[in-house]
Amino acid sequence: MSVSIRVRGVQKAYRDGERRVQVLNGLDLEVQAGEFVAIVGPSGCGKSTLLHLLGALDIPDAGTIEVGGQGLADMGPRRLAAFRNRTIGFVFQFQELLGDFSALENVMLPGRIAGKSSAWAQKRAQGLLEEVGLQDRLDHFPSQLSGGERQRVALCRALFMEPPLLLADEPTGNLDPESGVQVFDLMLDLQERHGTTALVVTHNPDLANRCGRLLALEGGKLHAGRC
Amino acid sequence: MSRMPLPLWVAARYLRSSRRDAFITFLSLTAAGGIALGVAALILALAALSGFQSALKEEVLSRTPQIEIELPAGADPEAARKAVQSIDEVRSAQVVIRGGGWLLARGRSRAVEVVGYGAGLPELFPEATSRSSGLYLGDGLANLWGLQPGDVVEIVSPVPTLTPVGPQPRVRRLPVVGTFEAGRAEQEDRLALPLTEASMLFGASAVHRLVVDCGDLDVALGVAGRLPAVLPAESTVRTWRDLNRVLFFALRLEKTLMFIAVFLIVVVAGMSLVSDLTLILASKRPEVGMLGAMGAPPSSLRQIFLWLGALLVGLGAVIGLTLGVGGSWLLDRYELLALPSQVYFLDHVPFLVRARDVLAIVGTTVILTFSCSFYAAHRAASLWPVEALRR
Repeated sequence: MSVSIRVRGVQKAYRDGERRVQVLNGLDLEVQAGEFVAIVGPSGCGKSTLLHLLGALDIPDAGTIEVGGQGLADMGPRRLAAFRNRTIGFVFQFQELLGDFSALENVMLPGRIAGKSSAWAQKRAQGLLEEVGLQDRLDHFPSQLSGGERQRVALCRALFMEPPLLLADEPTGNLDPESGVQVFDLMLDLQERHGTTALVVTHNPDLANRCGRLLALEGGKLHAGRC
Repeated sequence: MSRMPLPLWVAARYLRSSRRDAFITFLSLTAAGGIALGVAALILALAALSGFQSALKEEVLSRTPQIEIELPAGADPEAARKAVQSIDEVRSAQVVIRGGGWLLARGRSRAVEVVGYGAGLPELFPEATSRSSGLYLGDGLANLWGLQPGDVVEIVSPVPTLTPVGPQPRVRRLPVVGTFEAGRAEQEDRLALPLTEASMLFGASAVHRLVVDCGDLDVALGVAGRLPAVLPAESTVRTWRDLNRVLFFALRLEKTLMFIAVFLIVVVAGMSLVSDLTLILASKRPEVGMLGAMGAPPSSLRQIFLWLGALLVGLGAVIGLTLGVGGSWLLDRYELLALPSQVYFLDHVPFLVRARDVLAIVGTTVILTFSCSFYAAHRAASLWPVEALRR
């Protein structure tokens, strides 16, 4: 399952003390359902900000964002929360796993938030973790896992609800090159098999070149890019 | 795997997250410990006060008529007594006279309250060595002056007899028949003698009273309301409650002030809980943001911290309740806190745990401390996920 994305004239600025930093400046974006898009650009250019806006974690100063034909601006906090739960899977550079929960429990969390039964959520989480080769790490806590393992757990958690959109913010940025390639391979494989629309922010040109489309963020706008 | 609701599940995990956040666990235990200490201290303090007050009330009420009726001048005391006695719930009604006087014996004198009694020594002179008619002294005074049954003493009335040579004091020489337990120090200077002797001491001007016993204090309160209908007009009816109004007010005030003073411990524990939950929120901020990113609505994030507060408050309250009630029972059962019986009317500190005190303590503690959780809960609910996730 996948969704299209349509972004029109999005603007976003931050205050840095007295200074106003215009990060996104009339940004437009069209992503077809099922596409795998990489976004590259220098640090601080607004890649993460764009991902946060697409994932309904933040709101733009101006412009419109539609995911699967739904305008995010029209939704209140409760609907946005439900939208994030059912439509979007997030993978972050630092995984953001809950330290007091095992790998299995971390993966189950989106299901528990959605009100799924504990037994069903456990079965599905176990299946996903087995799919990424972590069948022996189900009861391990994040502090007992390697960086690559933690990122695989985070990927399973992002895909738990079979979201039509996967947003990954530097998913390999905190991993050694070998683990980074493994995680990226896994992401590509899962995206292909689940047919998810995916946007990945990365600094790694080799990995970015393996995506279906490459966009570069410069001057607050997206351009067709190459590495 | 947990079947708990998500907010409770997360809160329970945060509560025992000792693996990484030893400091936060320490703070959580401090907050719960403060609540436990406050609840236990409140229960122990109020149980000790209740024990003392109960013993004091028992002591006072055993020497106070359940109902005392002051008859108007000219009323027929015996007719009034019979009228009161005719009420079903009344066990006994006795005519008495009360007045001041002096006791003289062995070259010493002392101001005393003289109580003249009718049929037999009233129950408000407890532990009397006998109940036959005659003069009875408080055991304290009798011991102090070395008076024994059979010793003759003089009682002088302040109401003089007018004679041709001028006013002369009324004096009765009477043998001591027995003693009664005087109890508290201020009641030592009290003596009882037959009504006929008292009438001679106080003359025709003496005010007659009836002391009424109904067996039960609450029954006495009910009977008192019906007495004016059977008594002469202008009779004054006072119950045991009226006769000790000042004392009972002082006891209530003492208990209220003690509650407020000790409750300050709980207030401090509540403040500690606020800082603890705020610190937990600060340390779990990215995780709370991630829960929001995964779709947990603000209400769920709020509930996590309300549950966390409720768990800490519940833990503290249960421990405090156990310590307070258990401690009170042990201290009372084994009389662990001894008192010098020469100084106090008790030889140990009694502890009496009253259910309504415990309910009030636990109720106010839970309400106050739980409401302290709202601050952190509100902050968690208003966290914008992107702000929480920012590093």
